[in-house]
Formats: sequence, structure tokens, C-alpha cells
Amino acid sequence: MTEIFFCNQSLKAEALHSSCAIDIDNLWDYRCSKPDILTPYTPYFFNQNPTAIDRSIADLLSTAPVAKPLTDLSLSFGGDNTLALAEITQKLQDYNLGLLDASAGVYGSRMTGFTGAVKKYQEALIAYGSSLKSNAAARLLARQKTQVAFQSLQLEFKHELNAVTAGVNARRGTPLTNLERATNIARSSRNLTALDITSQVQANNLVKFSKHTALLGNGLAVIDFTSRIGNIYNSHQAGGNWQRELFIESSSFALSALAGTAIVNTGGAMLGFLVLATPIGWVGLLAGGLTVAGVAAATSIGINQITKEDAGGVYDLIMNKLAHYDN
Amino acid sequence: MTTREYLIGMLIFAAFITAILYVAFGQITVRKLRKNPKTKDFLGLEYASGWDIINVAQALALPRALSRKLEKSPLAFMNANATVLFEHTNTLDRILGSVFYWLLMVSGLSGTLLVLLNALGFFTL
Repeated sequence: MTEIFFCNQSLKAEALHSSCAIDIDNLWDYRCSKPDILTPYTPYFFNQNPTAIDRSIADLLSTAPVAKPLTDLSLSFGGDNTLALAEITQKLQDYNLGLLDASAGVYGSRMTGFTGAVKKYQEALIAYGSSLKSNAAARLLARQKTQVAFQSLQLEFKHELNAVTAGVNARRGTPLTNLERATNIARSSRNLTALDITSQVQANNLVKFSKHTALLGNGLAVIDFTSRIGNIYNSHQAGGNWQRELFIESSSFALSALAGTAIVNTGGAMLGFLVLATPIGWVGLLAGGLTVAGVAAATSIGINQITKEDAGGVYDLIMNKLAHYDN
Repeated sequence: MTTREYLIGMLIFAAFITAILYVAFGQITVRKLRKNPKTKDFLGLEYASGWDIINVAQALALPRALSRKLEKSPLAFMNANATVLFEHTNTLDRILGSVFYWLLMVSGLSGTLLVLLNALGFFTL
């Protein structure tokens, strides 16, 4: 396990030792040199003897657009919650494909809504933290704003919150589910935070997650495309066969969109007939609509998976055939 | 080359043709219907932008007996109105719409079938 430290203001060795009981001699930056003073929004890892994995994880998290949102997030919600959030968005991303169809209404807005609500809550908490230095009226207003943001998050996104916090066992609840804890943390003006990263996969999820928080509001399709383009670009960077990757990504996208579209349209027509033939009520219609969206999403995910596995072989076949005609 | 790879290859080809027909049908037929004040309110519910293209194709492709039934349904607003559309389209529009719609449905739903068969383990034999 790699323990990564972030701070949001410069910290000297003495301050580090007296406030957090951390010996600066055991901290390393991503270039694997010892810092004299901690610079804000920079990852440091804690280990007596640094390993290559420590270093590569710190390196992954070291660019400013990644490090800044990660520091802010884990300062307001705690390191374990940030890890859980990153994981859940990765999972939700797998449901992205239903997006193109009616399930766009269900999954897409839900996903952007959830991350949006978390973001709003975080902004309110940060504003509350900085309002502590101003007068009582401003403080009260900021506190009320955090309360509103907290309630809308709890009311609308119960399931997602459960999924996020299920892996975090803290008796008092987490800042995501307990406003008291969150405001206490904001009031305590902590400026150092730690992330316990167990694997490189987790670090990668974090990097992706921090990028999404910048993209939020543009909808999931953007995230989907960026991750697909990212795969192609990575292969290009690694000197791989990026045309093949492009073929795989675009054909799996097209096929899953196609399957989702077909199902939504058939489902819509079927509902139309169902209303004629049976005395089905509005509740039944809603349930039917959700079923259609669910089936469409499931199919989209399924076909995306299969196509990703098989499209490479198809590409090879076409290329072989073309080479054959050339000769 | 496994069976599944072969089937996926065919689906990719069908998807490619469908995508071309989608754009062509949208430009040739639906653009005209969107501009026409007599038809523009009968193109059905747009789940996502551009969905009216699929609605129009469905109205032109389904057998008249079926689409007449659909029009009587309380959910008729979701589908494009075939009776109105037939008055304002020519034979080319109808052929294009039918080919596009059935190709979309057949390839889309066989993708679904493929997922189902795959989940049931048909390709691991």
C-alpha cells in the first residue's frame, strides 16, 4: 500500500512534525527526492524505503489538473471517500452506453446529477470553511448553504451514496452522509490529507476521476468519448497499432448505440400496443418505460463488451484480406 | 476466426450501412418534413436529438394495419403519425425509410440476441 500525502498550503518540517507527528525524512516526492518543505497540491509518499510502485503512483497523480481537485476533494470528504467516489464513477461509466437512448434520461442525468450534487456540496463546505474568518451573518449564511446542498444530495442520491460509503467503515458515518462531521472537518481547517492507495489501478481511477470533475456538466457522452479516445491515444503513444484500437472503439460504440436504439424503439411501440390491449395504468407505463431503458442499457453494455473482445479479430481479418489482394 | 467474431463482423458492417442510411434519410426526407408546417408537429417524441428520424422511418416502414392501431393508442404522441406522413412523402422516401428502419431493427435486435446467446453460453461450446 502506498500512502500519498497532499496539502493545500506550504508546510515546514517542524509544523508537519508538531501537528501531524510525521517525520519529513520519510516523505518523498515523485522524483524520489526528499523535500525540505511541502509545496501545496503536490503528492508526497510516505515510506522509509521508497519503491518503484510508490514512485509511479505519485508520478501519476503529480500533474496540476489531477493533484488540485484530488487535494480539495480529499480535504473535504476524507481520503477513503475520495477513493470510493473514484471507484463508483468508474463503475457508473460502464453504464454510459444506454446514454444515447431513452436511458439518457435515466442514467445520464442521474450520473451528472450525482457528481454535480457532490461537487456543489463540496463547494458549499469550502465556502463555509473560508467564511469562518468573516462575520457571524456570513457564517450563518454559508452554513445554511451547506445544509441545503447536503439535503439535496441525501434526498436524491440515496442509492449512489450507499454504494459509495458501503466500503468505508466508520462508525460516525462519513462526511458524505453526516453533515456534522463535514462541517467539523471544514471548521478544523485541516491542510494535510492522506490517500491510501493499494494499487496502480486505483491510482488510475483517481486520475480519471479528477479529470471527470473538470468535465462534469457536459454529460456522460463526453466522458465516454474521452475514455475511448484516451484508449486510442495511449496505444498510439505506446507505439501500438492505434488504427486497430480506433476500429475496436468505434465499432463497439456504434454497435451498442444501435442495439440500444433498436430496443428503445421496439419497447416504445410495444408499450403503445400494450396500452390499447390492456387496462394498464400510468404506474404500469412508468414501470414498462424503466424496463425498456434497463434492457436497453444492459444490452448496450453487453454488446459493448463482446464487440471489444471480438472487433480486434475482425480488424485483423479485413487487413489480412486486403494484404492478400495487394499481393 | 470464431463464430462470434464472424457474427460481430457482420454486425459492424450492418451498423456501418445503417449509419449512412440514417444520415441520408435524415437529410433527404426528415429535413423536408421538419420544415413543413403541416407535418412538423407529427414527428413523434424525441428521446434524444435526431430521434424523430427514427420515428418517421418507423411510421413509413410499419405495415399500415399496425400503424393505424398505434395511432389509436393513448401513447400515439410518442410515435410519428403515419397517416399525415404518407400524404407528404413520395415513394423514394418510403423505400429509404423502410430499408433504414428494418436494417436498424434487424441489426440492433440481432445484437441483443447475440448478447443473450452469449450470456447463455452458446459460444463457449
